[in-house]
Amino acid sequence: MTQFLQQVVAGLASGSIYALLALGIVIIYRSTGIVNFAQGEMATFTTFVAWTLVDHGVGYWGAFALTLVIAFAGGIALERTIVRRVEGGPVITAVILTIGLFILLGGLSNWIWKAEVRSFPPDRPFPTSAWDVGGVAISKQDAGILAVTVVLVLALWALFQLTKLGLALRASALNPTASRLVGIRVGWMLALGWGLAAALGAVAGLFTAAANPPLDPNMMRPVLIYALAAAVLGGLESPVGAIVGGLAIGVVLNLIVTYDTHVHLDLDRMRIPMAFLAILIVLLVRPAGIFGRTAVRRV
Amino acid sequence: MSRLATVRAAVTAVALVAGIVLVYFLPHADRIGYIKGSQLGVYFIAILGLNIVTGYTGQISLGHGAFMAIGGYTTAILVSEHGVRDLWTIPIAALVAGLAGFVVGVPALRLSGLYLALATFGLALAMPAILSWDKLDAVTKSGQEIQLFNSPHLLGKGFEDVHFLGRTLSFNHAVYYLTWGIALLLLAVAWLILRGAPGRAFRAVRDSELAATSSGVRVATYKTLAFAISAAYAGIAGSLFVIALAFADPQSFPATLSLTLIVGAAVAGLGSLWGVLAGAAFVQFLPDFAVHISKAQGVPDTVYGAALILIVLLLPTGVAGGLRRALSPLTTRLYTRSQSQ
Amino acid sequence: MSRVLFIATAALLALGIPVAFGGTQADPGITATSIHIGGTTPLSGSAQAFQSVAKGADAYFKYVNSRGGVNKRKINYEYLDDQYIPSETVRQTRVLVEDKDVFAIFNSLGTEQNEAIRPYLNTKDVPQLFVATGGTTFGRDSKQYPWTIAYQPTYIAEGAMYGAYIRRTSPKQKIAILYQNDSYGGDLVKGLERGLGPRKSNIVSRVSYAATDDNVQSQIAQLRSSKAGILMLFATPKFVIQAYQYVNGLGWKPKIFVNAVSSASNVMVLSSSQGKNKRVEGSISIVFLKDPNDPKWAKDPAVLLYRKIMKRYAKGSNIKDVYNLYGMSVAFTFVDALKHAGKNPTRASLMRAATHLNERNNPFLLPRMSVRTAANDHYPLDQARLQRWHNGRWISFGGLLKARS
Repeated sequence: MTQFLQQVVAGLASGSIYALLALGIVIIYRSTGIVNFAQGEMATFTTFVAWTLVDHGVGYWGAFALTLVIAFAGGIALERTIVRRVEGGPVITAVILTIGLFILLGGLSNWIWKAEVRSFPPDRPFPTSAWDVGGVAISKQDAGILAVTVVLVLALWALFQLTKLGLALRASALNPTASRLVGIRVGWMLALGWGLAAALGAVAGLFTAAANPPLDPNMMRPVLIYALAAAVLGGLESPVGAIVGGLAIGVVLNLIVTYDTHVHLDLDRMRIPMAFLAILIVLLVRPAGIFGRTAVRRV
Repeated sequence: MSRLATVRAAVTAVALVAGIVLVYFLPHADRIGYIKGSQLGVYFIAILGLNIVTGYTGQISLGHGAFMAIGGYTTAILVSEHGVRDLWTIPIAALVAGLAGFVVGVPALRLSGLYLALATFGLALAMPAILSWDKLDAVTKSGQEIQLFNSPHLLGKGFEDVHFLGRTLSFNHAVYYLTWGIALLLLAVAWLILRGAPGRAFRAVRDSELAATSSGVRVATYKTLAFAISAAYAGIAGSLFVIALAFADPQSFPATLSLTLIVGAAVAGLGSLWGVLAGAAFVQFLPDFAVHISKAQGVPDTVYGAALILIVLLLPTGVAGGLRRALSPLTTRLYTRSQSQ
Repeated sequence: MSRVLFIATAALLALGIPVAFGGTQADPGITATSIHIGGTTPLSGSAQAFQSVAKGADAYFKYVNSRGGVNKRKINYEYLDDQYIPSETVRQTRVLVEDKDVFAIFNSLGTEQNEAIRPYLNTKDVPQLFVATGGTTFGRDSKQYPWTIAYQPTYIAEGAMYGAYIRRTSPKQKIAILYQNDSYGGDLVKGLERGLGPRKSNIVSRVSYAATDDNVQSQIAQLRSSKAGILMLFATPKFVIQAYQYVNGLGWKPKIFVNAVSSASNVMVLSSSQGKNKRVEGSISIVFLKDPNDPKWAKDPAVLLYRKIMKRYAKGSNIKDVYNLYGMSVAFTFVDALKHAGKNPTRASLMRAATHLNERNNPFLLPRMSVRTAANDHYPLDQARLQRWHNGRWISFGGLLKARS
């Protein structure tokens, strides 16, 4: 039982990182209808920006806050200068563009910061020590990350559902023409979506560097795979779906691989295929994901 | 034949001859050689196939590297385990990959746009792990390297001179001509398919499924058909990939290969066959060029990524679309522009 | 239109004019003033951190060239990107051998990668020198592949050193292993079992991860439930750093052994979270190179030379990265072999020199280490020392040990 619970705890820890990255993917999809393959590399890049700030003597939390601002501005700039040109065009063009961004940002991170492994000051953002709950160790860091993830989802939900800005954001994504007619500055709403996603990416990157160290230019690539799975599982446009999808993937994969030692299906290398098998099954049963709404067909 | 059709046929013929001349002289150009020329042919075939499903029926596949893996493994296993002559494994690879494409194409009917893109990308990500799975040991040798080098069933055993029609060709020459011979044959086949009734049906499906259905096109049939044909092309590409290197392993077909193919297809211009060579050349030579600029860490990727973004922004309809716009008269130009928006 | 295509295809095939090659005189890639060698390394992709192995070697060759080269020949080392994908290694190696006419393949990186090109190079009689991997097969199978020679101590030998040490010092302790599920991790485990001998049954838990995983938290939790007193980390730097953090977080206090791939002192400093993680203290590993980050070598002539060469010939590279120094060490050995290959080296004479090395002056290796080979001994480096992490640095202990399996 202890083993079981310990694996659940570890799965929640991995899953909250997947969820955070998936959250950025969902926000961008909601606002601009684009799946951003570069979300992980954006996160890595901004995390290196944070590291540079810390390296220059800025305190961890100061650097954290500053990085969020920089990422937000960077996301808006990216949308206004580059992404804007492919919005509303063929899906494939946007896909290729974000693949290009993925390669470019990955290259820049490697170029600017080299392959040197780095880390942030210890016990940031949360202490690495653990509580012992009946033999199950629960890391304060993992608990903190999960808590922040949940709070961020709630905040996003509130932003989208309860504020006027959220309404404008949703309207611009759903029907740009009508939104323009009622005076919403649609272009800026879409840019805001990218800004928010970039800032969320920075949080994901900073947490990844803490929970799955070290900070290195390729650190988000494996995470991106599971984040995409989480986003699709949750329906691509549901923040709640992303977090449920992320946590589910983290926990279920851990349990399957751990208990496979009794069944011997040699599943330890099969994490990625299993994640995508889950996606396939979910998509076939509910083509718009667990939390997605089926879009009305154009006639 | 109307005047426009005559002009088009002439342009096509000129492009074709130019392409063949280019292919013949390509290896002699600086820094290329027959080995890279063969790889270019492999990309050409796979991108051609991808273009059929993504360009003509509008189903985005980010998983065609997986079909290359299936074709490549078919050849590798048949040659190494069952002593089948390599050339005979090419049609079998096409068949097996085509079947796999059909199997993927059926559930793909239920998925649209980005969901299909992501599901197929999942396939690409999963394929290397599946090929390495211990439980599939009997079929795939569970991820061990399959070395075909020196196999008597392989063209020139993978390195020796090849005798063909009374001529002697070095191994790399032979593979190059084999690859491009098949590539041009497959180009002709694609052209015939897409010119005829299936092609019209594919395009109808892409432009509006609803309209296609109401005019009697069996949408499901044509969508899965396109997937199967396209996967068969990728399978042949994978088979030639393995023959050229006399080697196969799961890492030969990483998820990035699938992304490379879709990038090539987009650069080529979706829904047109004439840009495919440009698309293949882009993915084949740009990384080399990027490394040539600087080997400093990260610089090659930076150059490649920036070039790709520039291409997407400057030529949103790919090289084929750009050419079409540059060459066509004003009326057509206006028509095309309104189409692409 | 289709007929045009078919005719064109046939014409294209018929045009395949045979090119007759004359008999070979001198081996390709060598002139009176230059020698052209090649190799592959990951310049892009997930393993690009290892490219320093090629870059350090390249910097050293440039330094040698600036001092006149070897027998007035400049060494031109052309390394191509294989993205760490074995089939790309095959393609790029064929390009190097057949299109670029290199004299020999040198310092190509990776176990699977070198295995993939080995039959080809041995059939073509092209030297495959000093492969950058600890895969055991490259030394062991020299009869079958006489044109291939290893360099560093093998992973099996390294595992056996840990096994023998554990058997001697803590024969009763239970052992848990984290290993990468490929030949690298597998060889280390095999070696450990060999070194433990009758104590092999002390291994109570072995859990693997894939190089594509994002973290090993689940694996460490699984290993901890075995309540073992010893933890072997047969993993790459990223996963070793994670493992230390998770072990500490779980309140587990095993004695930890960390394999040489991941024991550079800059990695250990990161693992210890600037000294806060006490689990790092007392860790054991092996060493055969002078670590440029270790204060005890700060004034060592070899490390000073290393710094000078890096600054001049590898601008923008990370000097702290010990893989650069590894590259210089293997380049030094190559230069040594080339000097002994005669005034006008052939591929065969270079191979003969590489398999008859008795190099006692490689400055980048630990003092008193030598590089020795023979026709039936394709293991150039077969010695290493054990070292223990104490107060933020490695301290070697015991003498030079045989690292041979």
